[in-house]
Amino acid sequence: MSDHDSVRDDSTAADSPSSRFEGLRTRVVAHLRAVARIARWEVSRSAGTVDRKTIALGLVAALVAAGIAAGAVGSGVAIDQNLYRVGIASDSPYYDAVDQSSVLEPRPLSDPNVELVVSETHISVADTQTGRAAYQAYREAVQSYNERQMRLEANQSAAFPVVVTLQYRERGALVPAGSRVDGGNGGSAVSGDGSGTADGGDGSGADAGDGTGSAGSGTGVDSSDAAAADDTNIGASSLGGAAGLFGGDASGSPASISPPFPFASLVLAFAFLVPMNFVIQAYGSSILNERVNRRGELLLVAPISPGDIVAGKTLPYLAGMVGITVVIAAAIGGGPVSVAAVIPIGLLFLSSTFVGAMFARSFKELTFVTVTVSVFLTTYTFVPAIFTNVTPIALISPLTLVVRDLGGDAVSLGDFAFSVGPILLAAIVLFLLGTGVYREEDMFTQRSVPLKFLDALDSRISRPRSIATLSALSIPFVFIAELLAIAVLFVLPVDVTVPLVLVAVAVVEELAKSMHIYAAFEKARFARTIRVSLLLGALSGLGFFLGEKFTAIVQLVGLPSLTLGQAAFAPSGIGLATAAGLLVAPLVLHAVTASVTALGARRGKSTYALALVGAIGIHVVYNMQVVTNLG
Amino acid sequence: MGNPRLAIARRELGSLRKEKTIVLALAIQLFVAAFSSFLVVGLVSLYDPSAASYQVDVAVTGGEEAVNDLIVAIDGESGLAARPYPSADTAMTAFEERQVDAVVEASTGPNGRVQLVAIAPDSGVETTAVVVRLRDALRTLERNERAERSAFLSTNPLPVPPATESSPYFGFTYTVLVPLLLFLPVFIAGSLVVDSLTEEVARGTLELLRVAPVSFSAVVDGKLLAAGGLAPIQAVAWMALLQLNGTGIDNLTWLFGMVTGLTAVVVTLGATVSITAPDRRIAQLLYSLGVLLVFAGTSLLPLSPANSAARLALGTAGLSARLAVAGLVVVGLVSLVGLRVVVGRVDPNELG
Repeated sequence: MSDHDSVRDDSTAADSPSSRFEGLRTRVVAHLRAVARIARWEVSRSAGTVDRKTIALGLVAALVAAGIAAGAVGSGVAIDQNLYRVGIASDSPYYDAVDQSSVLEPRPLSDPNVELVVSETHISVADTQTGRAAYQAYREAVQSYNERQMRLEANQSAAFPVVVTLQYRERGALVPAGSRVDGGNGGSAVSGDGSGTADGGDGSGADAGDGTGSAGSGTGVDSSDAAAADDTNIGASSLGGAAGLFGGDASGSPASISPPFPFASLVLAFAFLVPMNFVIQAYGSSILNERVNRRGELLLVAPISPGDIVAGKTLPYLAGMVGITVVIAAAIGGGPVSVAAVIPIGLLFLSSTFVGAMFARSFKELTFVTVTVSVFLTTYTFVPAIFTNVTPIALISPLTLVVRDLGGDAVSLGDFAFSVGPILLAAIVLFLLGTGVYREEDMFTQRSVPLKFLDALDSRISRPRSIATLSALSIPFVFIAELLAIAVLFVLPVDVTVPLVLVAVAVVEELAKSMHIYAAFEKARFARTIRVSLLLGALSGLGFFLGEKFTAIVQLVGLPSLTLGQAAFAPSGIGLATAAGLLVAPLVLHAVTASVTALGARRGKSTYALALVGAIGIHVVYNMQVVTNLG
Repeated sequence: MGNPRLAIARRELGSLRKEKTIVLALAIQLFVAAFSSFLVVGLVSLYDPSAASYQVDVAVTGGEEAVNDLIVAIDGESGLAARPYPSADTAMTAFEERQVDAVVEASTGPNGRVQLVAIAPDSGVETTAVVVRLRDALRTLERNERAERSAFLSTNPLPVPPATESSPYFGFTYTVLVPLLLFLPVFIAGSLVVDSLTEEVARGTLELLRVAPVSFSAVVDGKLLAAGGLAPIQAVAWMALLQLNGTGIDNLTWLFGMVTGLTAVVVTLGATVSITAPDRRIAQLLYSLGVLLVFAGTSLLPLSPANSAARLALGTAGLSARLAVAGLVVVGLVSLVGLRVVVGRVDPNELG
């Protein structure tokens, strides 16, 4: 944060360029010194709270935990042990198979409380889901029992007569049947038009390509079989990886094939994000500790800017996070790209914890804020990354970059910026907001979180122009919220999601454009006149519009090629070079709706809420118009 | 004025209610739990190997005899269809053009073994769906081939019962999701106790006890009651939610007892840690490690809480799981009593 402050300060610097540079340099050095001093103090003070007894206690706990974990892995205690009961006679040929399975528990035939009965002649299954699951487990137990028996055989080629080599191949973008001459292994395909969303209906399209259809004269493919259209191929799937991560090419008997775990990103999310939770716990405590019993007051009256204090207090925790991330990345085989992708998530963790600790009234509240932060961020990073190989939407999560990095795929600069940019910007804006309330009247009072939030917004407003700046700064959050909405709604059919996404977009954008106006009015920052309201509304709309142009990087990854992406971002005038006139429309829209809410905010809470609903309505109608006209 | 313990518990709950962020946090937890179960059960059963809606086409090519056996095995599997191709090149072209989802090339190897090269698409969830089905088909082929060679085997493999439809994530729901939802509130309850006690120490409010007609152990009791009381209620609410979602939960009373016993153990841990190390950072870290220890330690036991919870919820638990619950409740009671003895000897003004 120190450089931000210094950049802001230098507008008042001396006149000649060289002395100006010199002055800037001294100031930067002074800031850095202050930051370093506070960081050192934070580290030594934290170390001071730990006495020998607690270190010993912690070490013992860690060692025992590690020992137990190792023991659990070694002895293979199964969480699904004895899940189903099987009634079986002890002289049945299947008894050993049941007995050796950890999931199944053999019971005598006389026991009525069983899910499955295996008698000499038949198998009877309870007609419940549990019964069917028990039967499935029984079947698997018999298969693996056979497998074990066969491994004991002398004649291995008769015991395992089939040898399979499994390979994973990437397929290029969907190309029309027949347009391809070589039979290579993908990747170099024509880039396609990308807009191939789920319109390849299965039933009706199945026998279309037979004669003259879109499938031209094929290159010797058995034409009677070539007809069947493949179902649902969404966009380009040139992203690689998940299969190579946990499955990998394998060779052996069919039983030894293990399908790749489809949720590789879940494992990654846990590996990277769980340690972060420990760090933000400590960080949040440290920040909140400053606010308890006015402890931070001495630091506040010292000749150091709040930015330096925050930077200094954050630095040790950030350093710890970077260290842990590097170690984990090295352990799972990720390179610099993985580290660079994960660190912005860490920054967002820290910044939102910082804001939470500035707002929270007690340790308990802080715990809940921390839980909320980590749950939200984990969802945000984990859910989209599931679709790594399915759709470009996955790129909103930096974990996708990690999955690709682990898979050995190159990550383009555009992809990287798209994935990491909003998160990094959001982290910076959050730090700015929190630093704004790092002052006496907010730190040592017990105000509710929403009030503190309004305070934080208000602290960034000094003149009407600030309204435009704040609107523009809200873009990363708007972007994150909208992308998350798309990612969450992605699984539903397109007919349902497009209107839902349009509404979600309107809600998010209108809130982002109006909350700071409301805060400014509530804090009596501006006169509550109609003229001022209209001015603030117009400025907010303008700032938002300019900030939104930032989203032009969306095009770099071709997100608009997704129908949903179009729904969310087309109304903002992105990617409409052909309709230049429409470029003015979003500006007018933003200014109008922001003015509507500003007029409402002028009067107070309830009229603000009412005006907000109205503005959202206008926005939704506008979005619908644009999407239907363009669609 | 009634029991001071109840008064303190009421005050704790009141402060929880006043800070409305807790409602938000609970709502978000609910969202995540609902969403993750939807994701796991819904999305994955979309690709359920036994669901007929998703058909996997397999291009088959290679030596004639092996191909015929392969086609029989593949067509016998529901949701799989074999398509013969004259050469590996044409099969690969069909794969690239997405007319087939996988390619299997067969040949005869040394010792008369069937050599197969299987090619699956590298695209996340779809890969899993294709490979799972292909594996089932190839295991059938292996069984058939093995039967032909039975003369060379000393023992004959047991006949495998026919396959039926069953959700592969049924077990997951009970062995992972149910224990997670049951034990998450327990963890949070202990964390609340740590927060509440360390905050009293940090703010120096415990000094007021010198003039107040309340003992330190009554304060601790009240805090344990407030935080610990919430956990079993939340756990039961989660189970009710699962019921609504169509996942049957059996033995709710026993699960309630189990969560209550475990909560007693964990809040005791939280209180002990905060009395030993009253700085919140250290206390929270030690507490997290301690909880990890409790859960990892118990998972080594044959009747671990997670396993017992799964079997109880599934309705397949015998007497042993119920005894485990009873044991857990006893351990919880003993630890609470032990804590009272310890707290009785602690001077609250020496803390911090």
